[in-house]
Amino acid sequence: MRLTAGVLLVALLAAASGLPAQGRNRFPRRTEGGGQPAVPESKPEPAGDKKPPKTHLAIVGGDVYLGTGQRLTGATVLVGDDKILAVGTDLELPAGTTVLDAKGKTVSPGFVCVVGNGMGAGRSSPFIDSVNPFDPEIKQALAAGITSFLAGSPAGGNMPGGDTAVIKLAYGDVTGMVLKEGTVLGLSVPLPPADLDKLFELIKKTRDHRVALEEFGKKKSADANAKPPEAPPGSDKLLKVLAGEARLWITLGGAGGGGRRGNPFGGGGNNNDTAAIRQAMDIAQRLGTGVVLQKPVSAWLVADEIAATGSMVILSPRDRVPADPADPDRTGSNLASAAILAETGVPVAVTCPAGGYGGGAGVGTGGIMGQDLNTPHLDAAFAVRGGLDNRKALRTLTLDAARIMGVDKRIGSIEPGKDADILILDGDPLHYRTFVETAVVNGKVVYVKDQEPFYSHIKH
Amino acid sequence: MHQASSVCAVLLAAVAAGGAARAQDGRPLAFTNARLCTLEGEVVPLGTLVVRDGRIQALGADAVAPAGALQIDCKGGTIMPGLVSAFARAGIDGPVEGPRQQPGPGRGRRGPPVEINPGPRGGTLNQPATKVSDKLYARQPIFGELLRCGVTTLALTPPGSGLPGLGAVLRPDGKTAEQLVAVDAAFVFVAMVRDTAVKKLLKESFDKAKKVVEERKKPKEPAKPEAKPEDKPADKPAEAKTEPPKGEPPPKPPEPTPPPVPKPDDKKEEKAAAPAPAAKPPEPPKDPNIEVLADLLEGKRRAILELDAAADLLHWLHAVGDDLQFPRAIVVPRYDQQAGAFDVVVEQCKKLKAPILLPPQLSVRPRTRYLTNPALTLQQAGVEVGFVIGDHRDTLRVLFFNLMELVRYGLPADVALKGATLVPAKALGVDGEVGSLKVGKKANLLLFSGDPLDPTSVLQSVWLEGRDVTVEKKGAER
Repeated sequence: MRLTAGVLLVALLAAASGLPAQGRNRFPRRTEGGGQPAVPESKPEPAGDKKPPKTHLAIVGGDVYLGTGQRLTGATVLVGDDKILAVGTDLELPAGTTVLDAKGKTVSPGFVCVVGNGMGAGRSSPFIDSVNPFDPEIKQALAAGITSFLAGSPAGGNMPGGDTAVIKLAYGDVTGMVLKEGTVLGLSVPLPPADLDKLFELIKKTRDHRVALEEFGKKKSADANAKPPEAPPGSDKLLKVLAGEARLWITLGGAGGGGRRGNPFGGGGNNNDTAAIRQAMDIAQRLGTGVVLQKPVSAWLVADEIAATGSMVILSPRDRVPADPADPDRTGSNLASAAILAETGVPVAVTCPAGGYGGGAGVGTGGIMGQDLNTPHLDAAFAVRGGLDNRKALRTLTLDAARIMGVDKRIGSIEPGKDADILILDGDPLHYRTFVETAVVNGKVVYVKDQEPFYSHIKH
Repeated sequence: MHQASSVCAVLLAAVAAGGAARAQDGRPLAFTNARLCTLEGEVVPLGTLVVRDGRIQALGADAVAPAGALQIDCKGGTIMPGLVSAFARAGIDGPVEGPRQQPGPGRGRRGPPVEINPGPRGGTLNQPATKVSDKLYARQPIFGELLRCGVTTLALTPPGSGLPGLGAVLRPDGKTAEQLVAVDAAFVFVAMVRDTAVKKLLKESFDKAKKVVEERKKPKEPAKPEAKPEDKPADKPAEAKTEPPKGEPPPKPPEPTPPPVPKPDDKKEEKAAAPAPAAKPPEPPKDPNIEVLADLLEGKRRAILELDAAADLLHWLHAVGDDLQFPRAIVVPRYDQQAGAFDVVVEQCKKLKAPILLPPQLSVRPRTRYLTNPALTLQQAGVEVGFVIGDHRDTLRVLFFNLMELVRYGLPADVALKGATLVPAKALGVDGEVGSLKVGKKANLLLFSGDPLDPTSVLQSVWLEGRDVTVEKKGAER
């Protein structure tokens, strides 16, 4: 069984040219932020000495968008059990491989949504005890191209907290549905000075504790009687963030919450949240690791500051916050936010505008049109409209979204070793006319357009 | 027409009234000119069924009414076994009147779901050794109603989720709980819900039960530990060198047990004896709840497992593993399209190797109005399919119409009828007594004017152990 694995011979597309002038034509010039590096992109875990897979699936002949920004034309994706084995143009398929023909079609990683509810996700931790693998919304979400999303709530308090899980839409498979729990923690800024001091104190103690732990590790090998250092109270969650096991998502608003810009019809609201962003950046710098900004309005004004801390951003490119007429150059949202942030090297994930009437984003059709997850590719397309490079825009729904949720080792791209969450599409992933023809999650075909009621009647 | 048929029923009942009384005197009963839907092989198109002492004595085309028997001419009508409801809570919560609302979504377009008394709110319970018959309130009109609808055997299912207790089998005719209960502690009821509390409870309880089963197996091999200490003194000098590194023998000698004695005592003595030499901490007292589950795993008891949706089946397998085998039946009281009707887990259902009792209804594909027939899908896959017929007259009134619809959508007629009689009887473990027309079984009979699955047929009389209960009740009503 010879596999010419991972043969990425096909020439990549030309490097992204400079972005055309977009938005309000007032980009802050990119300055090399000499600060900490962005959260490193994690590579899929090495396969190790695992047993040979029992079943093989090959998606043959499609234009494969890897999710990393690259595309292979007429390539084959080989899947063994639930993992991707190889991607390339000259793959030898093992005997008994199930072949899905994708000639003339597009192959993309499954979309990863950073916000979601419903879709069979469980109620709370442990999510695996209450997931519903036969929820009809799962099929509807797969029809929209979603294969994973963040369920639960990264509750924004004055200390990191929240109860979240990355849910996979593995229809009919309880254990396959929960990818990982607790990879996202929440925090709200701006914090009152007293709370901020407490947080900074805890960050310092936790970092010291980490150093002490490392020293203890060295000591232990020499002296078996060495005592482990005592963890400062409340440091467990921050430790996860520092170790890269969890991402800290920061909500930008009053510490007490409130509908800062919750009005879906515009008007009112805070049209500049630079102060809150800077506080979040302060936290990131003290942590020594990047954080995730949730739907900042003014990120486009301070993109280089965000880049300097290695932080990442979640945007809803369709969200509008009107500028202050008295100060139009430094207030309000910007369609080009995603493009500006991406150019400074900030990973961006896109999501839909928050549901207007309570509840987060789901595929339920009871809400306002467009404020749901039925067209995640259009949310990315809005970022393209704002000047984001088309190929980078796919990353906002795949690899960068997975990075923002802290699960990019497992999902977000078509690379050997990653989970086989793959879409076969009938066009460019971000084109408004494109539909999902087949969705594969964990190596299993879980959605076929012609067999489900949602879009089977639409023929191009 | 309805009026006419009810008049007809009353007339026939009046004719038989005298006979019913006399039949109890020990005089045999003979139903002649009857189409016998035995549900044991072929239908007998025209035959005789003889009842003596409340049991079926003979039946078939060539059966002859014994001399002196009270003859009832069925005039070509059909006799089938009485209905068996394997999932019911009638009589558990004091008097229950009127239709009750069923919680949960996914009711579909097909009218009310199977009515089942939810019983008192239980929550997650861990009391598998508690008998539900203690909660039975006997004097309720519901039993008479059920009997007249044709239900001659019904379960008393403990309310609550998790491990809410031991269910009973009732014969719905009696004034006291003792008279009503046919089989007490007939089955362990397991109500699966997909939440952490229930899954944890089930996993831990069955894990403990497995350990108890292992311990119970130990007394069978007391010969071994006993032999060892005998061998040891002799062997030790010779094998002195090989003994220590083994590591195993030292712990073994402390386990000698007296030779096998009657079982219950044996275990007690063993447990009393074992700690001292083994220097183990004293064994905790037996947990009756775990003992019940251990009996179940050893096959000494049977269980009814309630699953409300296909998702719950997967969670059950996730909680306890798919290798856990014990005598059981699955009940599915409603189709929950939001969490999967059972035609999406056909493979898993096959592996369960247990009868599955479904609602006697068609289902729909989620978010559509495409009708599906999960009972047919499972039956064609080789799963034994039965029906949850509930415990309410409103549901039972339309039961045969629902069965007709399933048959129209492809389900074989005998499967439909067995699903309301023999299969639930199997689920309750009483298929040796009721559930079909067979010599020796109880004479629980339904006499229809025609084929039970013909919409023009009328249920003319219901016979419980050779007694016409419709007549008595009608007399009482007057």
